[in-house]
Amino acid sequence: MIVDRDHLPQELADLPEELFVRVKDRPEMDQVSKVRADSFYMDAFRRLMKNRVSVLSICVVLLIIALALLVPQISGYGYTEQNVKLKNIPPRIPVLEKLGIADGTRTVIGVKPSALNNTSRYPEGSVLKVLRTYTVSGKEACDALVDMYVFAGVPEGKYYFFGTDYLGRDIMTRLFKGTQISLLIAFISVITNLIIGVVYGSVAGFYGGTVDIVLSHLAEVLDGLPYIVVTILFMLLLGSGMFSIILSLTITGWIGTARLTRAQYYRFKGREYVLAARSLGVPDRNLIFRHILPNAIGPLITRTMIAVPSAIFSESFLAYIGLGIKPPEPSIGVLLSSGQSVLLQYPYQTLFPAILISVLMVAFNMLANGLRDALDPSERGRLQ
Amino acid sequence: MMDSEVLLSVEDLVVSFSSRDEGLVHAVRGVSFKLHRGETLAVVGESGSGKSVTMKAVMGILSANGRVESGKILYDGLDLAKATEEQMHKIRGCRIGMVFQDPLSALDPIMKIGNQITEVLKKRGMSSAEATRKAISLLRDVGIDEPERRIEQYPFQFSGGMRQRIVIAIALAGDPEILICDEPTTALDVTVQARILELIKELQQKRGLSEVFITHDMGVVAQMADRIEVMYAGKIVEKGTTEEIFFHPAHPYTWALLGSMPDMETRGRLEAIPGAPPDMSQEIHGDAFAPRNPYALAIDFEREPPLFRLSETHMAATWLLHPKAPRIEMSESLRERIRRMKEAADEQH
Amino acid sequence: MFKYFLKRFAAMLVTLFLILTLSFWVIRLMPLSIFENPDISPEIQQKLEEKMHLHEPMVVQFGYFISGVLTRGDFGTSVKIRPGMDVLEIIWERVPTTMILNAASLILAIPLGILAGTIAALKRGKMTDNLISFLIVIFISVPSFVFASLLQYLFTLQWPVFPTLYLTHASTTGQIVASMVLPVIALSLGPLATIARYLRGELIESLSSEYMLLARTKGLTRGEAVVAHAFRNSLVPIANTIIPLITGIMGGSLVIEKIFAVPGIGGLLVDSIMAGDHFLTVALLMMYSVTSLLTIFIIDVSYGIIDPRIRIGGGQE
Repeated sequence: MIVDRDHLPQELADLPEELFVRVKDRPEMDQVSKVRADSFYMDAFRRLMKNRVSVLSICVVLLIIALALLVPQISGYGYTEQNVKLKNIPPRIPVLEKLGIADGTRTVIGVKPSALNNTSRYPEGSVLKVLRTYTVSGKEACDALVDMYVFAGVPEGKYYFFGTDYLGRDIMTRLFKGTQISLLIAFISVITNLIIGVVYGSVAGFYGGTVDIVLSHLAEVLDGLPYIVVTILFMLLLGSGMFSIILSLTITGWIGTARLTRAQYYRFKGREYVLAARSLGVPDRNLIFRHILPNAIGPLITRTMIAVPSAIFSESFLAYIGLGIKPPEPSIGVLLSSGQSVLLQYPYQTLFPAILISVLMVAFNMLANGLRDALDPSERGRLQ
Repeated sequence: MMDSEVLLSVEDLVVSFSSRDEGLVHAVRGVSFKLHRGETLAVVGESGSGKSVTMKAVMGILSANGRVESGKILYDGLDLAKATEEQMHKIRGCRIGMVFQDPLSALDPIMKIGNQITEVLKKRGMSSAEATRKAISLLRDVGIDEPERRIEQYPFQFSGGMRQRIVIAIALAGDPEILICDEPTTALDVTVQARILELIKELQQKRGLSEVFITHDMGVVAQMADRIEVMYAGKIVEKGTTEEIFFHPAHPYTWALLGSMPDMETRGRLEAIPGAPPDMSQEIHGDAFAPRNPYALAIDFEREPPLFRLSETHMAATWLLHPKAPRIEMSESLRERIRRMKEAADEQH
Repeated sequence: MFKYFLKRFAAMLVTLFLILTLSFWVIRLMPLSIFENPDISPEIQQKLEEKMHLHEPMVVQFGYFISGVLTRGDFGTSVKIRPGMDVLEIIWERVPTTMILNAASLILAIPLGILAGTIAALKRGKMTDNLISFLIVIFISVPSFVFASLLQYLFTLQWPVFPTLYLTHASTTGQIVASMVLPVIALSLGPLATIARYLRGELIESLSSEYMLLARTKGLTRGEAVVAHAFRNSLVPIANTIIPLITGIMGGSLVIEKIFAVPGIGGLLVDSIMAGDHFLTVALLMMYSVTSLLTIFIIDVSYGIIDPRIRIGGGQE
């Protein structure tokens, strides 16, 4: 709207006099500065919590950790407890069994019809239904749906939610015990890598010069080693076991972190506030912990979070190629690879570890993505 | 100047962006201006004031989440706000060209600069040899030495100023009549800035271009513009001829802009504008500048001011111009500064 | 430029030497050493002892080992898998299968990954993008061996379309292809998703870059600008993902070959590790090292050739 000052519209000319007084205190200004004072990490946390996928991932990860800690305690089975009579029992889960899923039955193929009536082999009530009868090379055979719980003589009211393995061990107990061990391996190796990497990168980045050149070259040589080859060689040297796995995951695992930390030093070294602090005589130790490292935390967190699923993956990978932890200790990888070997006979033995590792990996990766987005808000500013 | 033909006319343009984090952001909230043939119109404002977005809307290159909500962009009997992609395609490059802020990121880093000029010429049906000849002559026009050799080079082999010259050559390749310059010198060194500005002026005269010059630098404006539109928070708050805006500014925001402009005498005592521009995702009550305005009136927080006409060409949107407002003048130091600028201008004439 | 390649090449040789050294100590120091293994026939043991010069000090033994490898490509003799057979011979037999498997996975993964990434980037924020991005996370997160199990279960037990295991006596091309399908799919899903994710990110950045705006304002249509500028620019950094991709596929094929009983060097490595056939293991690991280091070297070189900023270097930055 354009108006002439000399011929104002009546409505504007009639505006009350008291609206035209100067305002001395302007409350909005204070609000602006308050918002700005919020710390970067609080901001990042808020952004993370606003991301529904990240929140869901955090919940899933926490749930799996809780199950890993609780289930082996309360399942009622020991994770190494064997019962050869109850081997390869299919899963049976209350409620679900009524729907015909996980009801503890298996289709037995190609048995002699007469054998089904033999109560010493097929106890009373174990054969639920004869599915079809046919002749194979002149002999009569049939497929029958068998309740394996009655067949194997599992006591009434006893449930194996995820079934049992070839030694009659409860898979659910072993799976969550295995999750415990896999997560432990992942966390310890990731934290070790983080510590080594930060210290190494800090030394190289802070001192610079010859120290940096030597350290960087050393790291480069180590980094040149193919990951799989080094891991396998070290596993061969150290023998299987949890400690060996952790160690072989840390041989080259810290290099990325070290490089990142060092780069942060170089990025922030020239900044005014660091120069100012240094010229004021702030000791090196303070400089590192108060001024430089806090700025490196964002990318380090993201990196570390991405390292967790890849450590879980490496553990399973090693288990598959026969370099996992020592039996009878379980891990997700050990269960997966032993399930794989009987996949076609007892698919459920692969199913549960596969679901667990997939959910765990997806959750960790999603969480890492969410963290990266929350800690690096540059995408947000790219509106226009 | 006012009598000459209106080339481009923007009427009550509203542009908004939808964003997951911040909801709907109203970047341009009702902007109107006219560009006359042969003139240079400067659009001045801080970053985020909506000046670039307005021009991107004119070119039809808003990012995917941006949208013209209402208003018209009239050019050559066509409303560009509603034009189809095909219609826009005929206008971009050959009718309206655009030069960007950062010449390094505006050039494709892995394509030879010759190809970056000829590529579009060939698409328009020029033969390869003809296009190359034209590219060489364009590069010569913008002051690149040995263009025959340099068309074979990549952007990273040029200095910042040279890159901007190349961008200008690209923008002029389709012989447009309007050139939109979006902060063309902001990313450059001061000495290079001056030379690029001279080049743009020279090309304007030679080719009879009409220009829209977007900048936040009042110094650049003084050198280039015939008329000025001052934008704040997606609105035009003051408009007038260069003399009117520089010598008789009426809006407190224009005062602040002029006060924050460095000049020889005031070195070291620039008046920074306090606070930050408003959050455009929120609805703005009253005058958007009020929270940062040291002369704010009570009504500024209640009601948006209309544009008060000061002369045929000069208008400002501030309640200070209302007859009932207290007489508030610009600060003494700014008055002093304007006096000096006037003297300098008189000397030149 | 040339100097840079020489440097990279020297670094590669140093790395290989390091691996060789490490391998030697693994053979000699490993628990359950071959020399106390009752399963190995006395003749072979005797042969080995001579070969390894066991009566000499360790350093001399190391010298013999290195010179054997370097001059004759002699990595020793298999003791478990094919007792008495030269390990390289065993390996060469199996190289083609693995090469076909890995190459097929790459050939499947790269174009499909580029396609998926491009579609996702162009449809950014739409349902298509969300779906592709979701699949990307799944394929990146879920290990290839889990997919292998799933595929094996679905397509050999539930719907028996493909053979469960590799048909070792496959006579027709059709049979060979059929037995390769599942392993190739299992191996390529992860790399496919990696490429798609990377390209999507790069392309989104390129699409919102200023050179795209200039390309549009100078008069290219959106399609022309995307192809000529955004797409070309986002392909350059893709080379960065190819290295981990290839080493990833090589690693993955260890397990995948084992699962599908593919007679390649991946499965052989797993078998030899499990059987404790250390000469074979070491030779295979060397093979992996050389292949992956060469790949990295070649990609580094070609990267330098693709990108003018590296090829010409310096400039007026």
